[in-house]
Amino acid sequence: MTKKLTKGNYAIAQAAINAGCDGYFGYPVTPQNEIGEYMSKKMPKLKRAYISAESEIGAINMVLGACSTGKKAMTSSSSMAIALMQEALCYIAADELPAVLVSVMRAGPALGYIYPAQGDYNQAVTGGGNGDYRIIVLAPSTVQECIDLTYKSFYLAQKYRNPVTLLADGLLGQMMEPVEFKDYPYPEIPNDDWALTGAKNREPRAIYSLEAKEEVLEKRVNLLFEKYKVIEENEQDFEEYLTQDAELIVTCFGSLARNVKSAVNECRKQGLKVGMLRPITLYPFPVYKIQELAKKTKKILVIEMNMGQMVRDVQLAVNGKVPVKFFGKAVGKWIEVETICEKIKKEIGNG
Amino acid sequence: MTESSVIIAGFGGQGILLAGEVLANALMLDGKDVTWYPCYGAEMRGGTVNCEVVASDDEVSSVNKKEADFIIALNQLSFEKFLPKLKKGGWIIANSSLVKELRSRIDVNYFFAPITHLANELGEIRISNIISLGILSKIGKLTSIETLHKALDMVLPEHKKNLLPLNLEALETGFNLQPVPVTVG
Repeated sequence: MTKKLTKGNYAIAQAAINAGCDGYFGYPVTPQNEIGEYMSKKMPKLKRAYISAESEIGAINMVLGACSTGKKAMTSSSSMAIALMQEALCYIAADELPAVLVSVMRAGPALGYIYPAQGDYNQAVTGGGNGDYRIIVLAPSTVQECIDLTYKSFYLAQKYRNPVTLLADGLLGQMMEPVEFKDYPYPEIPNDDWALTGAKNREPRAIYSLEAKEEVLEKRVNLLFEKYKVIEENEQDFEEYLTQDAELIVTCFGSLARNVKSAVNECRKQGLKVGMLRPITLYPFPVYKIQELAKKTKKILVIEMNMGQMVRDVQLAVNGKVPVKFFGKAVGKWIEVETICEKIKKEIGNG
Repeated sequence: MTESSVIIAGFGGQGILLAGEVLANALMLDGKDVTWYPCYGAEMRGGTVNCEVVASDDEVSSVNKKEADFIIALNQLSFEKFLPKLKKGGWIIANSSLVKELRSRIDVNYFFAPITHLANELGEIRISNIISLGILSKIGKLTSIETLHKALDMVLPEHKKNLLPLNLEALETGFNLQPVPVTVG
C-alpha cells in the first residue's frame, strides 16, 4: 500500500469514517477544526450524520443520544471546550455508552492560546464529572498512530460500552506525515441487547443514571468497577524502547516521544544506558510494565509538555522503588532533543 | 542519521504552505521519512505564514527545530524573522524583488534572486513559490526537480493539472539560476 502525506486531523477524521462512525457532532475550536471540516464534506456523501452543533454542550449530548441508539458516534474538540463537555461525559460513562471523543490539546489554562501543549492529561484521565467513573484514554505519538488509535478507540468503546478519549495535541493535529490507511481491523460488537432501537416486539428499555434505591445504586457502581478492573487487566498498552539494560528510563506520552527517542539514541551513542517508556493507554495506565521496570532500572525521568501531570501516575506505579524525577514546560516549542540529552546526562550523573 | 530541515516563509497568498507540501511529498517519494508542520491559527492573506519540512533517512527526530539548514524567505518580514534561525553554514534563499539584499550574518550563505520578477516573466505571479523550490533543489541537493514535478502532480487537484507544464518551467527557471558571487567587506 502506498503512503500518503496526511495531516493529523484529517487522518483522525478519515480513520473515524473507516471505523464506521455513523454520526459526527461538533463545534469548531482550533487546533482541531480540520476534523469537523473533513466530516462536513464526507459524512453527508456517505449518508451518515454530520451536525454542526450550537455549542460543545450540544455536540456531546448529541453524541450521547446517538450512542444510546447503538450507533457509532463521535465529537472532537480542544481543551477549554472539552471542559464544557465534562458533565455529559460523566453521564455517558454512567450510562455505559460507547462514545468516542477526540481531544486535540492546546495551551491552557482556560482560554490560553492555540499553541500545542500536553496540559490536558489530568482533564482526560481524571475527568471533571462527579462520582466514580473512568474514561479510557489513548495517546497517539505520530500521524500513523492517530489512525491506528482512532480505530482502537471505536473498538474499545464498543467492546466495553465505555467512552474513549483519543488525546492528541495541536502539533499532531496540524502536522503532515506519510501514513497508510489500512482497513478497520476490529470485529463489530453486537449491541442488540441494550441499544434503544424502538420497543416493537420486545420489552421497552431505558438508559439513565438516576437510581433512587441506595443498594441498587451501590451495586451499579460496583458493576462499573468490575468492568474497569477487566479493562485495567487487559488493555494496558505502551511502547518500550531500549529499556532492557537502561539505568535511566525516560517516560513521556504523545508526540513528545519523537524528541525523547532521538535523545535516547544520541545518549546511547555516547555509551549512556538510557531507554524510553511511552504509555499509549493513559487509562488504563501501564502500571504493570512500570512496576517491572522499576525493579531493574535506577531512576525514572518523566518529561511532559505541561507542569507535571502524568508524573503522578508514574510515582503511584513506582511506589517509591526508585527516584522519579520530572522535567517539563507548559507551552512553547516542543522540548528540544539537546535539552532532553542534557537532562538525561544530569540525572545519570546524579546517580 | 542525516536529517535536513527547511523553513519556507512569506506572505499569506504566496503559496508557502503548498510549496512545503510539494517539497514534503517529493522527499517522501525519495524514500525519506518526512514531516511538515505549519504555523497555524490567526493567519490571514497579506500576513506572514511559514511551514517547516524535516526529512530524515531514519525517523524524523523533532518536527519543529531550533535551527534550520535551509530557509526560503519570499518577503522582507520573513527574511528578518528567520535569518537568526538559520544554522551556521546554512543557506537562505531570498526573494530580492521584495527583500533588501543585506547580509547581516557572515556565517551563512545567501542566494538572492528576483523571484517575483521571474514569476511575472513566466506570466504567473503566483508561481514564485515553485521557482524557489527549483533554487532549493539546486543548492540544497535534497531532491531533484523531476521528483518535485512528480510531487506537484500528486498535490495539485484535477482541475489544476493543466498548470503542470508551467510549474515544470518554474522549477527549471529556479534550478538554472546562477548565484551571484558575493564580495565580503
